[in-house]
Amino acid sequence: MKFFRFLSIAALLVVSLTATALAAPKSIKVATDATWPPMEMVDVNKQIVGYDIDFLNAVAKELKIAVEFKNTAWDGIFAGLDSGQYDAIISSVTITDERKAKYDFTDAYTSIGQILVVPKTDKTAKTIADLKGKKVGSQIGTTGTMEVKKVVGVESKTYDEIGLAFEDMAAGRISGVVCDEPVAAHFALQKKEYKEKFKIVGKSFTKEGYGIVVKKGNKELVDLLNKGIKAIKTKKLDAKIHTKWVK
Amino acid sequence: MIRLALHLPMLNSQSSQNQIEVGDGAAIPHKSDAGLFTAWRIAFFGAIVLCLFLAFGRPDQYMAIFMFIPDGILVTFKVTVGAILLAIVFGLIAGLGRLSNNRFINGTASLYVEVIRGIPLLVQLFYIYYALGRFVKIPDILSAIIAMAFCYGAYMAEIFRAGIQSISKGQMEAALSLGMSRRQAMSEVILPQAFKVVLPPIGNEFIALLKDSSLVSILAVSDLLRRGREYASETFNYFETYTVIALIYLILTLFFSKLISLMEERLNDGR
Repeated sequence: MKFFRFLSIAALLVVSLTATALAAPKSIKVATDATWPPMEMVDVNKQIVGYDIDFLNAVAKELKIAVEFKNTAWDGIFAGLDSGQYDAIISSVTITDERKAKYDFTDAYTSIGQILVVPKTDKTAKTIADLKGKKVGSQIGTTGTMEVKKVVGVESKTYDEIGLAFEDMAAGRISGVVCDEPVAAHFALQKKEYKEKFKIVGKSFTKEGYGIVVKKGNKELVDLLNKGIKAIKTKKLDAKIHTKWVK
Repeated sequence: MIRLALHLPMLNSQSSQNQIEVGDGAAIPHKSDAGLFTAWRIAFFGAIVLCLFLAFGRPDQYMAIFMFIPDGILVTFKVTVGAILLAIVFGLIAGLGRLSNNRFINGTASLYVEVIRGIPLLVQLFYIYYALGRFVKIPDILSAIIAMAFCYGAYMAEIFRAGIQSISKGQMEAALSLGMSRRQAMSEVILPQAFKVVLPPIGNEFIALLKDSSLVSILAVSDLLRRGREYASETFNYFETYTVIALIYLILTLFFSKLISLMEERLNDGR
């Protein structure tokens, strides 16, 4: 009997929790893969921080809505959008045609490019093509991976998190890492352990815009977010956030 | 991980109680067990038929997946076979160490078994791959194999220890009374008999290892699961991709469990 009482209380709790979640007005749940410093990361206080977080918070303030961030692994972050676990993704997502075919994007809120990082001991490599016959790492399912795969003769290695790729390069298992420029700068120029070991070569070789991703057909949310992004840009608040996180 | 309760005499000497036995791998079919045999058949042939149906019935969605992952299957296979062979070596050494009269050797072997069995495999994989990567340079697949073998070696050690202890003491005494040294008696009399006893549980470990090998995908080793994830993360066909990955793992484990049951039957016939 006791067991059934426990069950019914548990069921009630679940129902009431879901009900409050649904009833909360104008609140959006947003997924981010907080392993991509300085765009999104978890700080020492276990808070999700970074450029994207500050940016979306500014947008939300402008639109007077509440945002709840959910730290989600990159591999599968789009699948969670399909199954409705959150309303949007802000996670340095480059707007590409392939992704646009499956999901809807807001206007680009900032633009970046892919860049190559190699060990300091490598004196010759300037582009990915110079690393033929070697292994080049990137995060799984990113535009960095797509760039590496484009070069014939280079073995692509994909990692769950970009930090693991840099660690593997420090261990000498791969010869290069391709990722977004601000992330490369964070790892190769600012991180104590890696500053001595790695260098960025050449300039960024792609031009990409980051967008906020929503489920296909959620025009209402796209329009709302676009309104907020526009307001932030006119007020030049994004420049402030940029100087705070990206040097 | 649910481990197979070893059905060996020395382990359950006070076993007047009932004991339940839960296998780790797919249910290995026995001839006497008609229900399971049917379940195995349905699962195995069903999975194969489903694979063929998806590949040829829905080629636009599924053919590309089947084209993308074969090299991953090969890597999964390499890691599994490499790890089981190395784990047998680790396990035999540690298992003999656990039975040694030398307190130092016994202590070291016991410590290895206790420590490794107390740490999750996923944590060990990360540890051996990234922590040791700072000191020694080992290629990725090899470090994955070493990490898996190091973990499974501890479980193997217990299998070997139980297997050796299951051989009646009289065998050792008889060998010693014939003038053999302890080492000779162990390698020529006890171990050959013990190997027969430990083969089935090792087969079970092999199936478990085949499944656990999917964990190496976190080490950027391009195994079956990693290839699937790479495909899914670019095409966003999560459902289709993981359906195929699950089916292939299922076919592999069912195939090997059948092989092991055949091997067991052979062994029992020989007695």
